[in-house]
Amino acid sequence: MPPLSVKPIYFSLLLALLCQLLPWTGFGLILRPDFVLLVVLYWLLRAPNICNIGTAWMAGLVVDLASGGLFGQNALAYVFTAYFALSYQRRLALFTIWQQAGFVFALLLLTRITLLILKMFAGGEIPGWGYFLPSISGILLWQLVIFPRIGVDAPPHKN
Amino acid sequence: MQHHQTPAFFLRGPSLFIRLVFFAALSLLLMATDSRLHYLVEIRQGFMALLHPLQKIANAPSNLYSIAQEYLVTQKTLLNRNRQLEQQSLEQSAKLQRFKSLEVENENLRNLLSAAQSIPQPARLAEILHMGRDPFNHKVVVNLGARQNIVAGQAVVDAAGVIGQVTRIYPFSSEVTLITDKELAIPVQIERNGLRAIAFGHGRDTTIDLPYLPANVDIRKGDKLVTSGIDGVYPAGLAVAEVVLIERNPNSPFARIVSKPIAGIENNRQILLISIPKTETPAGTAINTSAVANKAAAESKYPASSVKPHATPQR
Repeated sequence: MPPLSVKPIYFSLLLALLCQLLPWTGFGLILRPDFVLLVVLYWLLRAPNICNIGTAWMAGLVVDLASGGLFGQNALAYVFTAYFALSYQRRLALFTIWQQAGFVFALLLLTRITLLILKMFAGGEIPGWGYFLPSISGILLWQLVIFPRIGVDAPPHKN
Repeated sequence: MQHHQTPAFFLRGPSLFIRLVFFAALSLLLMATDSRLHYLVEIRQGFMALLHPLQKIANAPSNLYSIAQEYLVTQKTLLNRNRQLEQQSLEQSAKLQRFKSLEVENENLRNLLSAAQSIPQPARLAEILHMGRDPFNHKVVVNLGARQNIVAGQAVVDAAGVIGQVTRIYPFSSEVTLITDKELAIPVQIERNGLRAIAFGHGRDTTIDLPYLPANVDIRKGDKLVTSGIDGVYPAGLAVAEVVLIERNPNSPFARIVSKPIAGIENNRQILLISIPKTETPAGTAINTSAVANKAAAESKYPASSVKPHATPQR
């Protein structure tokens, strides 16, 4: 793997934020994957020495500001997700394709659940199952776009 | 055997768990500050000003698409639309003439009764930039903001009726909470019999609830809810919703009343922001204070909370 500089990280985060800011409406808005989170996860798993929990926190804070929600809720959810992502990051190289997909899907779900709990504390009501759709669209996007470039090769099968 | 910490080979900074605790605590602190103390309004506004160019870029493709669509519209459709609008304007000007004479008459009658004058409330045309970021809040962002002297608490209407209320102001844009949002309450009146009530957004779907009305309340399916105007924010008589379902459960002292908004909540692009009147007349002081209270509450994130107390619908 070539050594990474900080520049592409911030550039890709900005691009993800731009995707998030596109004028989504209707079903697209419900289905919209969390672009910033996906990019943060990618960098966390690929370059944990540059991109750490702090980066995830900053990204979450920017998303909070852009979305106009409670200040810090996305930041907290991202921090939790980043913690679990980093604590299993070393083992990622041993995972098969589907194990990796499952791992990332679990991380995306964790973010949504953390946000849901915070929302409930703030007095919101329980949303329908559509609330978890972004995780599914997110993992699809991961498999299609991000997975081929993660740079962690799946171990060759024995048989 | 003594266990001792093995020295780290590489300098990695504080451990993962310590970072987690630190940043989680920081987030919780920020959340508490934002929800309880309201210190972060300026930071949010400043950041939104920074984000504005990015927002412009993000909106550019869809804007370009709509401009192209407008440009490529056929002459026939334009002619049709023009004819339709002319007819509409003719009908409305006929109605307006009657309205003007009625207004004069009303003013005279009010003078005779020495009652407070109703204050004209100027309105400004705004355009919806995009829906709110969170699909579970019913909010939209419009293209007028603090620079255009928009203030939080202003009522937002379209041609058919009330859409919502301005709840947050940014330098170049502002956030409008729709009447279908769970946090927005709006004082209404049933047009048929003048019964006052408070309508709350349902939150989950695009309906409006009328809670706290007794089971024997005089309300029928098809009744029209209009703004009562006692909050001093919404001008009286604007259409809000139409009752579509009434359920009277013998186990509950309250009726469950569901109504549907009349205004095109989801499908309009142009909307009107009505400014809050500055009432100076002595009789208007009560209204004025409630408007100020409402405005303050709107700035403090919960626009609806102050509407609740001064319009209790107990009967």
